[in-house]
Amino acid sequence: MGENLWALREQKKISVAALANRAGLPVGLIMEYESGQRSIELRHLGRLARALYVEEAEIKLQSDPRPGAAPLQRRSEREAAPQPTGQPTAPPPRLRDRSPRPRFEPHPPLPPRPSQIVHLRNLLQRLGRTPADLEAETGKPIEQLDRPTVSQWLGKLQAQIKESAGATPYRRRAYLPESVDEFEARYLAAVQEAGELLRFSLFDGSQIEGAVIGFSPYNVTVRLADGAELTLNKLALVSYRRMPPPAGGEEPAR
Amino acid sequence: MSLGDYLRLLRARRGGISPWEIEAATGLTKGLYRQMEQRYRAVGDAEALHTLAAFYDAPFEELRWRLNWPRKALSQALAAARDAGQPITLQLWNGEAVTGRVRWWDLGAAAVETPDGGLVVVQRHAVERWAPLQ
Repeated sequence: MGENLWALREQKKISVAALANRAGLPVGLIMEYESGQRSIELRHLGRLARALYVEEAEIKLQSDPRPGAAPLQRRSEREAAPQPTGQPTAPPPRLRDRSPRPRFEPHPPLPPRPSQIVHLRNLLQRLGRTPADLEAETGKPIEQLDRPTVSQWLGKLQAQIKESAGATPYRRRAYLPESVDEFEARYLAAVQEAGELLRFSLFDGSQIEGAVIGFSPYNVTVRLADGAELTLNKLALVSYRRMPPPAGGEEPAR
Repeated sequence: MSLGDYLRLLRARRGGISPWEIEAATGLTKGLYRQMEQRYRAVGDAEALHTLAAFYDAPFEELRWRLNWPRKALSQALAAARDAGQPITLQLWNGEAVTGRVRWWDLGAAAVETPDGGLVVVQRHAVERWAPLQ
């Protein structure tokens, strides 16, 4: 047979509130379980067992009332019960002296980002409108609009551009491979495989010649004529080109 | 070299101080400096450029003209030259000018085939100006 819930709790030396907190159950429910007013629901049994670090079987589903403890009463029942004569009445419930919560004040809207202003001007230009047109509609200079308003206007203007694109031939967007870094890597890989020499021009005005033996998106490692290896940071490079083949040598593949 | 690349160079010369440290030191709006450095389109106004010119002790005009030559504009010029089959001239940081047909370009570099048949790979951050513009 299991042990009473209150006994287990006292063995573990934790309060009702702590047990309720650990098990994620209301304090009142724990008190009802402990007083035997209710039997523990099976769906709560696991939680209580875990909270007390015991097996589920160790908890008695229907706890016996604690010896000498008054039966548990709800507040409404206590207040409705007649007070025995000659005994002092219970003091009225103490009202907490709590100051009223401050009312939520929304933050003032932020000013527009500089990039939003630039974007707005560009969209206006594409629509053949001027910032003055927009200022006439909003009643404020663009820079004095707040961020949400500018954002709304950007959405409106973009929608207008989409609509107008249906009537006018849509300007084909150039292929801008900004998001890839593969062409240079392919080129360097081909050069490395062919064992060709490159001549690098650097920002400091110097020139370096060597064979590529490795590279990454940020640097190129070359072997110099004397056999030494040198890693060049791409930020230090201006340009590079294949060196002409030695006289009488084989023409390298382009 | 775009304004963003130039600012990165100046920042490297100052020992690699971080963008937010620069914003704190100059009073620029939070995030503006990072955008000026990293965005491919032109970001920033004359006031911000004056502030940065004073911070880096660089001529204002040196920053100002670069604002009109962002990386995105270089991409557009490269695309237009390739589509039109026309040569493009790239003016480089070291004073060299490379003229030829665009073979490819990507995030970091562009390859130009010169009239002698050679291929020159130019680092994008080293391109000062170009012609034709688009």
